Amino acid sequence: MNIQKRRKIESFLALSFSTAAALFGLFWLIFILSDVVIHGAAALNLDLFTKDPVPPGAEGGGLRNAFVGQLLITFFATLIGVPVGVLGGTFIAEYARGTKFARIISILSDIMVSVPSIVIGTFIYAVLVKPTGQFSGWAGAIALAVIMIPVVLRTTEDMLSLVPWTLREAAFALGAPYYKVIVQVVYRGAATGILTGILLSMARVAGETAPLLFTSFNNAFFSTNMNQPVASLTVTIFNYAMGPYETWHQQAWAASFVITIFILIITILGRLLIKWRYKK
Amino acid sequence: MKRKNPFDLSFSLLTAAASATVLLLMAGIFIILVKESSLSIEKFGIYKFITTVDWDPVKEIFGAATSIYGTFVTTLIAMLIAIPTAIGIAIFVTEAAPNFLKGPIGSAIELLAAIPSIIYGMWGLFTLAPLMSRYIEPSLQKAFGDVPVLNILFQGTPMGIDILTASLILSIMIIPFTASISRDSFNLTPAVVKESAYAMGATKWEVIKNIVLPYSKLGVFGGIALSLGRALGETMAVAFVLGNKHHITASLLDPASTITVTLANEFTEADTDLYLSSLFYLALVLFILSFVVLAVAKFFLLRAERRYSR
Amino acid sequence: MTTTIELEVKGLNFYYSGKTQALKNINLPIYSRQVTALIGPSGCGKTTLLRCFNRMHDLYPGNMYEGEILHEGRNILSNENDLIRLRSRIGMVFQKPTPFPMTIFDNIAYGLKLKGIKKRAELAERVEKALKHAALWNEAKDKLNASAYDLSGGQQQRLVIARALAVEPDVLLFDEPTSALDPISTGKIEELIMHLKNEVTIIIVTHNMQQAARISDMTGFMMLGDLVEFDHTQKIFTAPSEKLTEDYITGRFG
Repeated sequence: MNIQKRRKIESFLALSFSTAAALFGLFWLIFILSDVVIHGAAALNLDLFTKDPVPPGAEGGGLRNAFVGQLLITFFATLIGVPVGVLGGTFIAEYARGTKFARIISILSDIMVSVPSIVIGTFIYAVLVKPTGQFSGWAGAIALAVIMIPVVLRTTEDMLSLVPWTLREAAFALGAPYYKVIVQVVYRGAATGILTGILLSMARVAGETAPLLFTSFNNAFFSTNMNQPVASLTVTIFNYAMGPYETWHQQAWAASFVITIFILIITILGRLLIKWRYKK
Repeated sequence: MKRKNPFDLSFSLLTAAASATVLLLMAGIFIILVKESSLSIEKFGIYKFITTVDWDPVKEIFGAATSIYGTFVTTLIAMLIAIPTAIGIAIFVTEAAPNFLKGPIGSAIELLAAIPSIIYGMWGLFTLAPLMSRYIEPSLQKAFGDVPVLNILFQGTPMGIDILTASLILSIMIIPFTASISRDSFNLTPAVVKESAYAMGATKWEVIKNIVLPYSKLGVFGGIALSLGRALGETMAVAFVLGNKHHITASLLDPASTITVTLANEFTEADTDLYLSSLFYLALVLFILSFVVLAVAKFFLLRAERRYSR
Repeated sequence: MTTTIELEVKGLNFYYSGKTQALKNINLPIYSRQVTALIGPSGCGKTTLLRCFNRMHDLYPGNMYEGEILHEGRNILSNENDLIRLRSRIGMVFQKPTPFPMTIFDNIAYGLKLKGIKKRAELAERVEKALKHAALWNEAKDKLNASAYDLSGGQQQRLVIARALAVEPDVLLFDEPTSALDPISTGKIEELIMHLKNEVTIIIVTHNMQQAARISDMTGFMMLGDLVEFDHTQKIFTAPSEKLTEDYITGRFG
């Protein structure tokens, strides 16, 4: 009976360890989020959204430039990345379904999703910033679009594959050409999934910093000119947090708060949507 | 499918072009990085570049050894913390937890992956680093100060801006990747095989250890490789707390640098062609490294998938 | 026929979580060293009853037993019962072969190792014995270190039986053990079961009435959670007392 007791104790210990691991993970989640909320909420004020930065070290001012810049960059990144991703996913899930090419693109996209984003930043620097001699909002938007493309492509592929083949056959039987079947039937069936994927990929790139460091760079002034350097929240957080001024730190916390809440809400919403749409 | 319709032909070509961008981008990144780093490659070669310890912009001597060392050490420590934790979490959310907790805890852990890395960096710099320097690192020094060999790891003044802090943050960031892939793999273990182990009188842990883990090992390896790839390329979370110091140190309480941190801090400051080219060279090394690791991850995951779909 | 009672079910009610009653006041004796078959249309509760004997239902929260199953004077269903010990004495074989992800040898040795037997020589001896018992020794002796997945479906099922036999249980539960197998493999398993009853008490759930008629000594016919009739197999199949049993046997429903 001794051995049985030992086995039960061993089992108990192992399961306790797994519980401790889960608590360890939850601990950091709660620690980080509450820290951001506490610091961020304290530093939050209306000026943050309506005023531009004041000279370094001075009190007051806001981050209007960075908020607007972030929106511009993310907007244009979405505008470029989403069509390419959706159409690319359409090709490998529909016209090239089951081919070797589709497999290669799908695997390559999965790898590309996890390629260090800073490497993508250096790539865009080499092809867009260095030749023009100019950091620009466009370079930043394109860097983020490059990150978005494989994410959207893979989501689209997965979601289109979930649409039953019989649905397409039914449409073919009515004499519709394939492109019409895709646009009018298949897309409609997969719409929620694809939209959610797009939403999640926007959340992902909205938090990116590394690829913006040497593409859109930063701008202390309000600018909507995409041919010029454009401020972004994330790069501003990096610069402000590493800077020497307490007001900068406060504003960096406030900006972190806003961006975290924004991304978490989108992420949670996206997951609920997927769960609701694809629940068995 | 018949493609007589001209609209259909043009739509299929359009989508084909879109999907080819992935191929073009990946090839483009590689080619451009090679081209941009050619100056540095010519000057330092491959072996010399990755083994040279000096990184001296003034004398224009650039070696990647310190950055590669920092990347490997931070990644290694992060993996040491993250792998057992992540597998523990996966066990918790598939087997150990009561049913009503499985879903919520799993989702909460996945939220860790949604927090942007810049936030990890901010929090690391302002909250974690001071705690590390004030409480955790001194107590580690006390605990291991007299232990030979181990005490080398904890030499120096605990400042909080060091390898240990960076590795800890990195580990928290990669836990969700390994955990969620492991969980998905665990869930693919056929219930009836688990039941038949229980029917032999196995305990829950014995079922996990002897049945679930062997069954899902390919998926778990894939998850580990994937988070390894993530850790190698993580930038902002470490940039805040690693201190960007180019040296090779045995102490975990010393600042250091990684490839990513060097790039983030120095890219816009590179004032000579060779300097910039050497930074591109670093980026190329990182790209190849993470590509290989991620390809291995994908290989494992695909094999796992094929095995289960039989 | 000498008849000692191995297991005695008394007033057993079983509820799946969510309060659906799956077994209603079951009373039946399981005779030692005999084959008892449980038959009935799907959903009748025969598998549910089988899984009570080794308390498999405990793996899923919310399930509830009432009543008793006595084994050597002790109630299997009491909460104090040690499930690990219980399950090492009452083995189970499932519908589909369930080899573990390890070698053939380690599969058979698994239960022994759980019991704390570590000596290689003893393990080897008992693995051989179990494989011979399960009529698998000749086919498997040269590849004991191969993965269990290398065996055919029928061989895997015999491997699983050998694995259950290796720990020398008192009772073996079979849950439709041949429903996933071809006729030749089925024949081998049936032969094996009839052979095994010399040493171990067997309860088998089966969909296949001919199978029950061929291999069992006693048969219980179940419907909608009730045990309609329990008697000698021969009697059940030739002169059932209940109209419902007769209808089922003669294929009028089910």
